[in-house]
Amino acid sequence: MAALQEKKSCSQRMEEFQRYCWNPDTGQMLGRTLSRWVWISLYYVAFYVVMTGVFALCIYTLMCTLDPYTPDYQDQLKSPGVTLRPDVYGEKGLDISYNVSDNRTWVGLVHMLHDFLAGYSPASQEDSINCTLEKYFFQESFRAPNHTKFSCKFTADTLQNCSGLTDPNFGFAEGKPCFIIKMNRIVNFLPSNSTAPRVDCAFLDQHKNARPLQAEYYPPNGTFSLHYFPYYGKKAQPHYSNPLVAAKLLNVPKNTEVLIVCKILADHVTFDNPHDPFEGKVEFKLNIQQ
Amino acid sequence: MKGDPFPVENPSWTNIVPLLSFQKTLEIYSVELSGTKNIEQTDKGNGKEKYRGLKNCFEPKKNHRKEELRKELDLDDHKLSIKELEKKYGTNIITGLSSTQAAELLAQNGPNALTPPKETPEIIKFLKQMVGGFSILLWIGAILCWIAFGIQYSMNTTSSLDNVYLGCVLALVVILTGIFAYYQEAKSTNVMATFNKMIPQQALVIRDSEKKTIPADQLVVGDIVEIKGGDRIPADIRLLSVQGCKVDNSSLTGESEPQPRSSEFTHDSPLETKNIGFYSTTCLEGTATGMVINTGDRTVIGQIASLASGVGNEKTPIAIEIQHFVHIVAGVAVSIGILFFIIAVSLKYQVLDSIIFLIGIIVANVPEGLLATVTVTLSLTAKRLAKKNCLVKNLEAVETLGSTSIICSDKTGTLTQNRMTVAHLWFDNQIFIADTSEDHSNQVFDQSSGTWASLSKIITLCNRAEFRPGQESVPIMKRVVVGDASETALLKFSEVILGDVMEIRKRNHKVAEIPFNSTNKFQLSVHKTDDPNDKRFLMVMKGAPERILEKCSTIMVNGQEQPLDKNTAEAFHTAYMELGGLGERVLGFCHLYLPADEFPETYTFDVDTMNFPTSNLCFVGLLSMIDPPRSTVPDAVTKCRSAGIKVIMVTGDHPITAKAIAKSVGIISANSETVEDIAKRLHIAVEQVNKRDAKAAVVTGMELKDMSPEQLDELLTNYPEIVFARTSPQQKLIIVEGCQRQNAVVAVTGDGVNDSPALKKADIGIAMGIAGSDAAKNAADMILLDDNFASIVTGVEEGRLIFDNLKKTIAYTLTKNIAELCPFLIYIIVGLPLPIGTITILFIDLGTDIIPSIALAYEKAESDIMNRKPRHKKKDRLVNQQLAMYSYLHIGLMQAVGAFVVYFTVYAQEGFKPSVLINIRVEWENSNVNDLEDSYGQQWTLYQRKYLEWMGYTAFFVGIMVQQIADLIIRKTRRNSIFQQGLFRNKVIWVGIASQIIIALILSYGLGSVTALSFTMLRPQYWFVAVPFAILIWVYDEVRKLFIRLYPGSWWDKNMYY
Repeated sequence: MAALQEKKSCSQRMEEFQRYCWNPDTGQMLGRTLSRWVWISLYYVAFYVVMTGVFALCIYTLMCTLDPYTPDYQDQLKSPGVTLRPDVYGEKGLDISYNVSDNRTWVGLVHMLHDFLAGYSPASQEDSINCTLEKYFFQESFRAPNHTKFSCKFTADTLQNCSGLTDPNFGFAEGKPCFIIKMNRIVNFLPSNSTAPRVDCAFLDQHKNARPLQAEYYPPNGTFSLHYFPYYGKKAQPHYSNPLVAAKLLNVPKNTEVLIVCKILADHVTFDNPHDPFEGKVEFKLNIQQ
Repeated sequence: MKGDPFPVENPSWTNIVPLLSFQKTLEIYSVELSGTKNIEQTDKGNGKEKYRGLKNCFEPKKNHRKEELRKELDLDDHKLSIKELEKKYGTNIITGLSSTQAAELLAQNGPNALTPPKETPEIIKFLKQMVGGFSILLWIGAILCWIAFGIQYSMNTTSSLDNVYLGCVLALVVILTGIFAYYQEAKSTNVMATFNKMIPQQALVIRDSEKKTIPADQLVVGDIVEIKGGDRIPADIRLLSVQGCKVDNSSLTGESEPQPRSSEFTHDSPLETKNIGFYSTTCLEGTATGMVINTGDRTVIGQIASLASGVGNEKTPIAIEIQHFVHIVAGVAVSIGILFFIIAVSLKYQVLDSIIFLIGIIVANVPEGLLATVTVTLSLTAKRLAKKNCLVKNLEAVETLGSTSIICSDKTGTLTQNRMTVAHLWFDNQIFIADTSEDHSNQVFDQSSGTWASLSKIITLCNRAEFRPGQESVPIMKRVVVGDASETALLKFSEVILGDVMEIRKRNHKVAEIPFNSTNKFQLSVHKTDDPNDKRFLMVMKGAPERILEKCSTIMVNGQEQPLDKNTAEAFHTAYMELGGLGERVLGFCHLYLPADEFPETYTFDVDTMNFPTSNLCFVGLLSMIDPPRSTVPDAVTKCRSAGIKVIMVTGDHPITAKAIAKSVGIISANSETVEDIAKRLHIAVEQVNKRDAKAAVVTGMELKDMSPEQLDELLTNYPEIVFARTSPQQKLIIVEGCQRQNAVVAVTGDGVNDSPALKKADIGIAMGIAGSDAAKNAADMILLDDNFASIVTGVEEGRLIFDNLKKTIAYTLTKNIAELCPFLIYIIVGLPLPIGTITILFIDLGTDIIPSIALAYEKAESDIMNRKPRHKKKDRLVNQQLAMYSYLHIGLMQAVGAFVVYFTVYAQEGFKPSVLINIRVEWENSNVNDLEDSYGQQWTLYQRKYLEWMGYTAFFVGIMVQQIADLIIRKTRRNSIFQQGLFRNKVIWVGIASQIIIALILSYGLGSVTALSFTMLRPQYWFVAVPFAILIWVYDEVRKLFIRLYPGSWWDKNMYY
């Protein structure tokens, strides 16, 4: 600091700085003697140890106050996000394009779907139970093993033509690709009052393409069965997997880029948040070359 | 040299010497304390000697100044005869110049006005504000933002505009604070503008054989001008014909005695000779005709003024301190920035991200609002000072006064009232003291004696001064009088004691009068008495005491005439000596009742033939006058003393008067002696006195001239009480420079043009608002509107207070920088979601923190700041190591911890426990991940995370804000407990706290929906999470202060007191 004031020659400054670093007259280095340095360091060490302790204590107390099963607040999770597989992102959002005749362009996409559905094989779902109720599966108590709650099975074969079992190419080869739509988990979220939430895909810019989008949905009607809800959180339902809906797009015009939006229609799912393109819906660009 | 205070070879002192040695070579009216004459004689050695004195200090750099001085001495028009003059200037004293000639000359030489000091162009001033201080760092930040955007854009054309916005915001911050600082600066200069506007002066000039009134700036060399009493002399003029003209050269020479003028060439030196009138001096009485010989900047005054403008402006101490502080902060910002840039790069962050971190670090480190706050704080003090009659021209000067360690004060007008006042009376063999306070209200001397009755009659009648009519409601001492200084003093004195003097004069009709002239050295008048039974005429006379005594054969004691014997003459001399030794101007008074048989009522007095006796009169008494010190000055000087400020008197006046005034105001304290005093007391030669015994020194310009800088340094260090007398403007400059060599912060007070170079050179120049000349006001940094020295003490107090309070403000502002910086560092190293955004930081720095930091300026002093030494320029820094360490590493760190606790609380309660947050950064910020899992298995889209991140910003912001409230409270004091200081004494602090909370509430709840600001609503309980930390900060600081108070000088005190 001493070197920062007024005009001095460079050598003067250097000399001053040297003297500041080591002053042989007083035995000071950097303005303090060795013992002074020890003292001040000790003080700071002690101070920081105490502060670290205080911080740790605060975090510990915080953790103690948290409910292990449900978060205290879900201010940002009013409505679930929706994601799409395969997910290839372009400059702005999802952007999927491939050439039907060139399988190198779509083999990656297919691979992505296979990878994704690997988590839905009967083997990986074996800790879950079969549910058929089509009603909300409320569980008050922890009846499942290890003090957890039951999760419902969702196996890939539910997706039929888009399961990759019957058509390992997921329809990409014939220009009628399957897309898998997944709704994000939110603890204790109930998507609708009574009817099951349904996926509906459409062209975003409808008027240009006179024909509306035709799609086959799997499971039939494109619904997420209600028995997958509510989600009780990772600790209560360690084996929970999101229900899926596959949409097989049948009449995508070739060699043009189309914008497709898949919305989830349910009472408590909103898709009109202008800031969040993935809330309650998923939009993607699709360009199938031939 | 110092040994002999009264070197006889100096002709100027012959006026005083007679008094002391009883020589009979009196040549003037009384103890004439005239300045002009003498001061010029000091310099008279015709330049060469003057240069010798200056040589050591000026020679290397100030050659041009020498040139100017030489020019001044080249003036020889006073030696020329009128014919030669007419020839030289191509004019005619009867017809004057012709209009065409005048117009030509005007075009050639320019108008007759002083070139105003060179102003920095407004645009330069403005740009300076734009790049000064932290601005440059913020510009770098802004440019980095745009560069980052440029890189982003070149990689991906649809990249977000966030960086552009941030860059613009930073630029906007710089520009706004720049505009603000410029506005503040301009406002304070505008106050001055009113002073600079002078009423256009008119001059009566003879042109084309006609008398014309023209604006004075149209005058040209060779013009014939007429001046009369009350006029300001419009240019340097050679006087051609004079009728009883006296001029006031005080603004040129610092002496208030009126100087008689004549048309004769009386001295070689142009400054000395009586036939020259100087530009801007005032003609007090009489009339004169003169020829303009110099105009505008070529006048003597113009040359002194340019001498002043040649003196560079010193940087104010506070400017140095702020620069020092900016350097520290900028150093910290840049080094941490670069360090973490390197860390970020080596942690395999992209260069682009690293640049963005760098911006964040810079923004977090720079207290954007602080310089504006400092400006506001200073201007608040300036306003407060203005209310106390100190007008501050340069905002930074507010503090300078506080660090002042030496005040070089002019005598006339600053320490004294600048008017002659009756101080002592001697009659009935006794000296009486008259009240010299500003209102004269308390005249306690014995007025019962018959001698006083006679004396008062003489005072009243033998006086030509008169009050200007229409001033009945004005207090006597404030009334305007037509007449010279001593007559004015006598008039006011008698008016106060006797009542309506004019009425008394009317009753005692004046039948004849001989006004004072330099040959007679007395003034007499003959009156009819107001006693209807007494038909005698009364002749009253006053004049130089020796002259009066010569004319007397009797003396009045207790109202009875007694023959004047040797004893009474001795008594007279003793009294005369004593009063003269006090530096006072003494007048003798005598009278004579003319016998009615010789001088019947019808007698015609002829003043030319003097057909009446002027000897064998009756001596009545002596009266001595002085320009008395202002009544507030002694107290103020004492206060300065106890505040560790050395008060030095620097005057153009005579040493004896200077010493007398210095003694009476305490500049030389009652028990200190000069070397000469000791010599006199011990009856030994001056050389034999041990110089160490003397505390005080009276040094004349003559002695100063022969001193080397080393000797001057020695003098300044060895004597705590110094009076410089008979000094020239150049010598004042040398004295100021000498003081500055001692590392002192020097304040100079003055009013005359002669003071202006020193005012400029001083660290703070203080000009007198009423008596001050425009040149002095121009050169000064501060103006005392009431000309009261005591106002300086107020200024010192305010200056010291503001220094202390600025320390607190800076400590307050610096503290949160760590809390703003840590998030970035943790973000880079640990990979948490960014805890606080750059924009949010700006909202703290320029939003919630501004009013509180200004509020600290209203804090009262902790202890008596006037009882401690002025701060050491180099040692007592505004921002020292302790302040930085304590703010950054103690309180700042606690704030960071507290704010992080709030942050973690928000995240944890929303679903992200601290454990998952670590190293989440890449996924968190990845726009392709829209199902990021939290601790509960919930999945978040990008926007949902972003929103949570903003909530985190808001939480962190609130955390800092809450702890800044505690910070604000602890900063109220540095040593005392808050409870000693009073929690509620400074109401503005609470306004500040309220403003903090309200601004935060508005940002969170009012503007929570504006996405660009990245604020969100926050659950009410999060506002209280940091409160325990705020309390902890308070407690910690109280403990710190307690230990400082308990163990002064201890390790703790040294390391913890800032």
